[in-house]
Amino acid sequence: MADYHEFIEKMGSKIKVEIRKKRRLYFQVKNEDILEVVDYLFNKMECRLSTATATETYHGIEALYHFSDDNTGNYYCPRVVMKDKENPEMNSITPMIQGAEWIEREMAEWWGIKFIGHPRPIPLLSRNHPEDLNKPMRCRR
Amino acid sequence: MKIKSNLKEISNKNQIPVGPFHPLLEEAEYFNLTVDGETVVDIDMDTGWMHRGHEFISEQKSFTQSIYLVERICGICSTSHPLAFVHALEDVGNIEIPLRARYIRTLVGELERIHSHLLWVGLAGHFIGYDTVWMWAWKYREPVLQMFEIISGNRNHYGMMRVGGVGKDVDPASIPELNKILDTLVKKMNMIAKIVNDDPVLRSRLIGVGVLTKKDAIDYCAVGPTSRASGVRGDVRKDEPIDAYDLVDFDEIITKNGDVYDKFVVRVLETIESIKICRQCLNKLKEIKGPFFNNVKEISAGEGIGRYEAPRGEVFHYVRTDGTNRVVRHKVRAPSFNNIPTFQASCKGIPIADALITLAGVDPCYCCTERAIRVSDKHNKNKKIDLLKLSRDKTLYIRRNA
Amino acid sequence: MGWYNKRLAKSLWVFHISGSPCNNCDIEILDLITPKYDVERLGIKLVGSIRHADVLLITGVFNKKVAPKIRKIYEQAPKPIFVVAIGSCPSSGICFKDSYNIVQSREDVIPINMYIPGCPPKPEAMIEGVAKLMEILNG
Repeated sequence: MADYHEFIEKMGSKIKVEIRKKRRLYFQVKNEDILEVVDYLFNKMECRLSTATATETYHGIEALYHFSDDNTGNYYCPRVVMKDKENPEMNSITPMIQGAEWIEREMAEWWGIKFIGHPRPIPLLSRNHPEDLNKPMRCRR
Repeated sequence: MKIKSNLKEISNKNQIPVGPFHPLLEEAEYFNLTVDGETVVDIDMDTGWMHRGHEFISEQKSFTQSIYLVERICGICSTSHPLAFVHALEDVGNIEIPLRARYIRTLVGELERIHSHLLWVGLAGHFIGYDTVWMWAWKYREPVLQMFEIISGNRNHYGMMRVGGVGKDVDPASIPELNKILDTLVKKMNMIAKIVNDDPVLRSRLIGVGVLTKKDAIDYCAVGPTSRASGVRGDVRKDEPIDAYDLVDFDEIITKNGDVYDKFVVRVLETIESIKICRQCLNKLKEIKGPFFNNVKEISAGEGIGRYEAPRGEVFHYVRTDGTNRVVRHKVRAPSFNNIPTFQASCKGIPIADALITLAGVDPCYCCTERAIRVSDKHNKNKKIDLLKLSRDKTLYIRRNA
Repeated sequence: MGWYNKRLAKSLWVFHISGSPCNNCDIEILDLITPKYDVERLGIKLVGSIRHADVLLITGVFNKKVAPKIRKIYEQAPKPIFVVAIGSCPSSGICFKDSYNIVQSREDVIPINMYIPGCPPKPEAMIEGVAKLMEILNG
């Protein structure tokens, strides 16, 4: 598709494209490069951060961000995979985008991900909760 | 430690600033406003009182069962979530839907926008002391709910959406009656638009209050009328026109000041545009014949994103499937999740009598927020202040001294 | 207490609590005061404080975070107070039964006197429920 051609060329080896179809692009990024990719998407391409999804899979814990380009209707979704399931951690994008604060706090409390550099890492929904939910969205086998 | 001890003392110090008509709860701190004299300095929020774990439950239900589950996330935007969810599933499987179903989906979505904006107009009127506006706006909301009953059988929670189309057809014999109800609505909306334009007390209470600048709206990633009132363009109906949005004619409303008055204007004008869209859909439904449902047997494995422009902004659903009839992962993000943190920017420096209308300006979907506000000053001492009474008293003062 | 109940039935003051609802039932309760259904002609008023209330309306399937607060409010209410649960959520928990954050039985938190099922119950059903309550109070 011609839409994502320029973006993929610019990013080069930092991203690994997984799914590319009409208006949706999913690609994998390493933890070291995530801040640079997000900076390009938010500041240069003026995309809006919609939300972020965390999932637990066989390979590890993934954090999938969703950026929306409102002028074209395209979605860019960088994915960071954390292989260490006991102590997953990755860089936080909140210092760059103020709106990511609540999104990352929610991921931290339900999956136990540690976001390095987050200004206010306190629980969002289970603050002052009478019982300890203990990361309820993680798989229990 | 200090915060914990404050928690113990909250028993009789919280305020219920908003009247009894809110899904409110006493005895819990949701917003913590810090004031310095008469000015609000900071705001903090404690949420989670409505958290029911939809994402967890959705992994155990099949797709069609999830549609009923997702409807009950919010009662006011009760069609936006199922629409976004079926868009996501159709995105995974690249499924086409019939033309008649597209018009019916758009019709139901736009009717919901009308009823939700009228609800907000009523609440805003109540907060600033215009109870008549509240009663009028909710009275003219009733015909819209009657239209829903004719189309789907229930006033709220319609259960209309399915993967591949809609669940029920619109009976052609009922279309003249629906058109008649729309005609009465147009007259009333024009009356409300005139009130917003002419009334001096409304203008002096709302203009310049709770301003959210364009830069803040972009930084906090706000969506919907909250960001459109600050000059940031972005409307899912124009950016990604699926269903019938590329077949009907309407305008996107953007203003530039970012105060509560602009949010009011944006919502009233959007309602008038929605009535235009509904009329076009009803005219097309008279002529088009065909199926309203495409029976989809299975959805392939993959990932999909679906979104829809709810009355409050963009609703976002992400699903991940593995070829069976259940989702592996279902992520829901309601628009209020992005809009409510903008309080931190728009509440700074406003007098406390305007705090309530500023918080209401964002139109928080109450399933994500409740409204018991605790007020404390710089030294963290609690003060007993009734925000609703303050707000209504300010209006009385302005009227007497105008 | 018969004479007291009869006086009470003439003008019931209602306080509304929401325990994690989807807000549909709450909006339908507010719809009752608006001009189309207008329960104020029956003497029913929505009050702002639990200490003035005769009837407690609860909606929603209770969340574990909210349940202790509701218990506290119930204890503060001056007795006798009638608890009416509106909607299918407090009756059975409907689709939210399997969640990790929901209390399994609403009756463990506060005793409930009357259920009005429906999702949401139509305003006519709610008015019928109130009329039954007044009948019971009138003996």
